[in-house]
Amino acid sequence: MNFLERISNYIAFAEKGLIGTLLMVMILLAFLQVILRNIFSTGILWVDPLLRHMVLWICFIGASIATQKKKHINIDVFSRLLSNKSKSVVNIFTNIFAAGVSYALMNAAYKFLLDEKDAQTVILTISNFEIASWWIQIIIPIGFGLMIFRFLINAIYYLTEMLRYQKVVETH
Amino acid sequence: METILIILALILLAFFGSPLFSIIGVISLIAFHSAQIDSSAVIVELYRLANTPTLIAIPFFTFAGYLLAESNSPKRIVALARALFGWIPGGLAVVALISCAIFTAFTGASGVTIIALGGLLYPILLKEKYPEKFSLGLMTTSGSLGLMFPPSLPIILYAVVAKISVDKLFVAGFIPGMFLLIILAIYSIQFGVKASVPKTKFDIANVLIAARDVAWEIPLPFLVIGGIYGGLFTVTEAAAVTAFYVLVVEVFIYKDLKLFKDIPKIMQESMVLVGAILIILGTALGLTNYLIDAEVPKQLFTIIGELITSKILFLILLNIFLLIVGMMMDIFSATIVVVPLIIPIALAYGVDPVHLGIIFLMNLEIGYVTPPVGLNLFIASYRFEKPITKIYTSTLPYIAIRLVVLVLVTYAPNLSLYLVRLLQIE
Repeated sequence: MNFLERISNYIAFAEKGLIGTLLMVMILLAFLQVILRNIFSTGILWVDPLLRHMVLWICFIGASIATQKKKHINIDVFSRLLSNKSKSVVNIFTNIFAAGVSYALMNAAYKFLLDEKDAQTVILTISNFEIASWWIQIIIPIGFGLMIFRFLINAIYYLTEMLRYQKVVETH
Repeated sequence: METILIILALILLAFFGSPLFSIIGVISLIAFHSAQIDSSAVIVELYRLANTPTLIAIPFFTFAGYLLAESNSPKRIVALARALFGWIPGGLAVVALISCAIFTAFTGASGVTIIALGGLLYPILLKEKYPEKFSLGLMTTSGSLGLMFPPSLPIILYAVVAKISVDKLFVAGFIPGMFLLIILAIYSIQFGVKASVPKTKFDIANVLIAARDVAWEIPLPFLVIGGIYGGLFTVTEAAAVTAFYVLVVEVFIYKDLKLFKDIPKIMQESMVLVGAILIILGTALGLTNYLIDAEVPKQLFTIIGELITSKILFLILLNIFLLIVGMMMDIFSATIVVVPLIIPIALAYGVDPVHLGIIFLMNLEIGYVTPPVGLNLFIASYRFEKPITKIYTSTLPYIAIRLVVLVLVTYAPNLSLYLVRLLQIE
């Protein structure tokens, strides 16, 4: 368990660096584009598609960190009424469920990626350098993969929590 | 039978706190599977996240909002507002309303306002002899005030989901938002007169000192509002300029935040929220398309249309429905999930989609503070260390005022649409 959490923390460190860099680059590029457009009436052609695709990366890396920090948006009306122990039990189920759905979505994303790779779509060209769509879209299956890993770690965490509460009840 | 069981299981999973994207994701997958479409189509739709230019505004405004919340700007805004309006009877309450509205517009109503400004204003309100109950209610209700003003995130998200122009919605929200603010201010002033709370003397020197302190932040609302309303910037451009400007001002001019110590943390925290919102939006894009292809809203309308024949009755029921939704869901997921379903139905009843947007947001604003499970009630109870039941009773008069304003905004579409027509926004 500790081992898995350590891996998760290493990944989180990389994600944090990546998401900060992405955001900073986005702000600088977008600001530069505003200046170019409004003052010099020009603009860089590849900036807009690049910005749009960076949003996709932010989405998946952000969602992966949200999984680690248990900060996904949910409709949480019932679990406030539960005891700590039953809350852990419920959380084991919801995390395993979310891992399962992420797995199905990762498979779907993998199929999508293969199609895109076959189609060889170029989404943007920076000077002579052509960027194929699948290079950028690869974050979709990777993102879902990271979420599967994190949801399973969360499930294990709640399992240990549940056992701990069990023990507390037994000793009393 | 099988379908009913699946639906029941999903409702249970959702209400026990499964991530909303997983619920929507599994529904999309099942829907496409049953229509014998390959599952990769769900991802084709999700990929539309990268083809919606307006979405770029969301990380920028979220980041700027988080920066403002973590800096000392709440203090500076309150100081200026006090110097300007403290002389009015009940002036401090008006100050609270205005500062909260500005702040919520920039941070999106995610409870940040109550945490950041509530902690600042609540003790001052008590010190100046405002009754506890009045102050609690005021601060709790103000946490969702200001959603109607640019650059509020829920408005941007609504425009993306409803496929209407953000500029139009920003303009449409202005009169209803101001109207609500003014009514609440009048209530506070007459309360201040009745309770004869002390007022401060107006002193131009104080105004100048406070204004000098906040001088670098004063241009922000004008930049955003003027830029968008004046047609100078698109929403995305305004977002980029805001994020850049706030970052430079807070780090290099005010030096409230350290570039290498605070900024990475704020970036991560704000992008976690963005990721959590966008992943729901992404999985919902496929489902929405499927539902529209399968003509689900049309079928819903045929069922509803037989029961509800008048537009007025439809609007009443819509308001009740949205209040319940707002109580149970946060504004972002509610927008993503509910809006695609109600828009075609509302259109069939002749409700303008822009007007519908304003009705929707006003309802959800109220939903935040509706007992028993409105989210901001819990945040306020936690922040002010008061039992939740006390928060319930303190917000009741404000909820009543908001409901009255909601009714007016719902049944007088011109409150929302007049400016849009006047300015001929496209």
